[in-house]
Amino acid sequence: MNIIVFIKQVADTEARILIKSDKKSLEIENKYNMNFFDEFAVEEAIRIKEKFKDSLITVCTYGTKKAIEALRTAIAMGVDRAFLLDNTNLDNDDPLIIAKILSSFAKKEGFDLILCGRQAIDDENANVGAMVAEFLNIPHISAILKLEVIDDKKVKAESELEGGREVIEAQLPALFTTQKGLNEPRVPLITGVMKAMKAVIPAIDPCSLGIVKEDIDTKASKITVLSYEPPQSRPPVKVIDGETPEEKVKSLVKALKEEAKAL
Amino acid sequence: MDFKLTEEQEFFKKIITDTVDKLIVPKSQEIDEKDEFPWEVWKEFTKLGYLGLRYPEETGGMNADKIMCMTFYEEISRGSVGLAQSVIMNILMGTYFLFRFGSNAIKERCLYPAMRGEKIATMCFTEDQSGSDLGATRTTAARDGDGWRINGTKMWITNGPICDFCTVLATLDPTKGLKGLNFFLVEKGTPGFSSGQIIHKLGCRGTVTGELVFDNVWVPYENFLGEELGKGVYYVGDILDEVRLMTGAMALGIAKGAYNEALEFAKKRIAFGQPIGNFQLIREKFAEMDTFMNAARLMIYYGAWLLENGMDSRIIAAEAKMYATEVCLKVVDELTRIYGANAFAYEFTPQRYFRDARFLLYGGGTHEVLKDFIGRTLIGKL
Repeated sequence: MNIIVFIKQVADTEARILIKSDKKSLEIENKYNMNFFDEFAVEEAIRIKEKFKDSLITVCTYGTKKAIEALRTAIAMGVDRAFLLDNTNLDNDDPLIIAKILSSFAKKEGFDLILCGRQAIDDENANVGAMVAEFLNIPHISAILKLEVIDDKKVKAESELEGGREVIEAQLPALFTTQKGLNEPRVPLITGVMKAMKAVIPAIDPCSLGIVKEDIDTKASKITVLSYEPPQSRPPVKVIDGETPEEKVKSLVKALKEEAKAL
Repeated sequence: MDFKLTEEQEFFKKIITDTVDKLIVPKSQEIDEKDEFPWEVWKEFTKLGYLGLRYPEETGGMNADKIMCMTFYEEISRGSVGLAQSVIMNILMGTYFLFRFGSNAIKERCLYPAMRGEKIATMCFTEDQSGSDLGATRTTAARDGDGWRINGTKMWITNGPICDFCTVLATLDPTKGLKGLNFFLVEKGTPGFSSGQIIHKLGCRGTVTGELVFDNVWVPYENFLGEELGKGVYYVGDILDEVRLMTGAMALGIAKGAYNEALEFAKKRIAFGQPIGNFQLIREKFAEMDTFMNAARLMIYYGAWLLENGMDSRIIAAEAKMYATEVCLKVVDELTRIYGANAFAYEFTPQRYFRDARFLLYGGGTHEVLKDFIGRTLIGKL
C-alpha cells in the first residue's frame, strides 16, 4: 500500500508571536513543531504499515527548509521517506494553491491512501485536505476517529459529527483528515532518531511537478491579508459580592443577565 | 567562530526536548513527592534507547557527540533531576569502566542490559571519610586465589540500593594513596555484597541514594576493570571533565526549568492591575537570569566542544561546573522571589527546584576543591 502523509510545520503554541508594524506580517519566535493534528496522521500511517508490512509511507510538506525538522520527526516516528516541497521564492499561504501543489506531488508519486491533519493549528483553515481530494478527484472523509483498512481497495472509517459519530465505508484511493482521539502518537525510539538524523531529505521545486509558476506564485493567490489584529485583552475578573451564598448566587444571576447578557 | 548547531544536533535537541516534555515533565512533581524510584517512568523512558547515548552504534548505542550528550543531560534534568540522576548514572559513570575495560562476557551480562535499561548501574567512589579526597579511600581489594577480595563501605551511592551491578573504587594498598586505587565490578547477588542505609535527601528525590556494603566480597580476576594495577586514578581523570561538564549541564537544566516557571508566572500573575512582568524590578531579575544562564551555557558547550575535539578541557570543565551550579542556585532563588509566598508551599513547583539545585554543589567536585584546582593549575608550581 502506498501511503502519503501531508504535514505542516507550525509555530509552537508557546512561541512568542508579534504583529509587525505593517500589520500584514508576523514575527514568530523560532519554536516550531509538526502540526498537532498531523501527528495523528503520521501515527495512523505507521499503524497501517504495521498491519500491511509491504506499505511505503511517504511524508511531504510544503514549506521552508526549516520544515525539514518536522519531516525528520516523522521519519524518527517511523515513516519511510520524506520530501520537502520547497517554497523558496513562492511565499504563499493560500490553501487553494498549497492544495494544488500537494495534489500534483501525489499524482506524480502515486498513492492508495492519503492522510493529513484536519486543520493546521496556526491558520486554522481546515481547507487543504478537502481541496487536495477535490484536485485528485477522490473521496475524502474529514476528522476521522477510527480507520480500519480492510484491504487495498476498501476502508471503514468513523468520523466525528456534532454529538455523535458517522461510520463510513469508502473505496481507495481516498483522503482522510485526522482528529484528536484517532490514536496516541508515539514517542520516537533512538533508532528512529538516528535514522532521521542521517536521512537525506530531497527539496523539490514545486514547478518541477508540472505546475506553471504563475499559477502558484504570490500573485496567483486569491486571498490578500489586509491586517493581523491581536485578540482583545480579557476584561478584569469580577468578584461577586454577598454576605451569604444565596446573596452571591442572586448577584451572579443578575450579573449574567444584565452585564454579560448570557442568560 | 561558529556557534551554530548542526542540523543533526538541532534535530536531536528538538526530539529530546519534546520527549522530556511528553514523558517526564508531567510526572516530575509526583516523582519528587513520592520519593521512590519511579519504575514506570524509568521503563517508559529507557525503552526508547537513550541509555546507549555515548556508546558506539554497533553495541546498540547512538554514538552521540559531546554536544548532543550535554543537550541530553540538560534537557532530562529540566524535566526531573530525580530521574535524570539515575538515567545519567547508567549512561556515563555506571557503565564507563565496563565499556572501556570489561570482558565480552561482562559486557554481555552487564553493559548491554544497562544500555537497554534492563539493569541498573552505579559507580562507588564516596565513603564516610573520602569524597573529593580519593586518596583517603579505605575500601580495600586484595588478591585471593583467582580473584579479588573486597572489603569496605561506600556512601552516597546514586542508584546504590537498587543497582544490579556497581563499579567499586578500592585500594590495593592504603599507604600508596592515589596510586593504590583500582576499579572492580561487583554484581548483585555476590555473597557479602549488600545495600545499607538509604539516605533521605533534601532534593533530587526519586533517585535512590544510599550505602553499599562489601563484606568479604569475592569476585573473579576479570572483574578488575583496568589495564594496569594502580592506574585507577588516571582512568578517573579521563572521564572527569565529562562528568564535570555533565554536572554543569544538569544545573543548567534545572535553571532552565525554574526560569520557564518564573516566566510563565510573571506573565500571568496580576498585581496592581497588571502582570508583574511589567515591573522593572521583576524585569531586572529576568535580564540577570538570562545573562547568567547564557554565560553558563557558553562555558558548558565550549567545554563539550573542546572535549569532542580532543583538546584540553580541564580548566573550562571545572569552571563550567562551578559557574553553572552557582547560576542555578541564583535562578532558583529568583524563582522563589518572583513566585511569592506560594514558592514556600509544597503544592507548587518552585520549592522543588530550590531543593534540587543544592545537590549539584557536591557532585563533580565541591566548589572549594574546584577553585583550588583551577587556581593551582593557572598559577603553576612556585
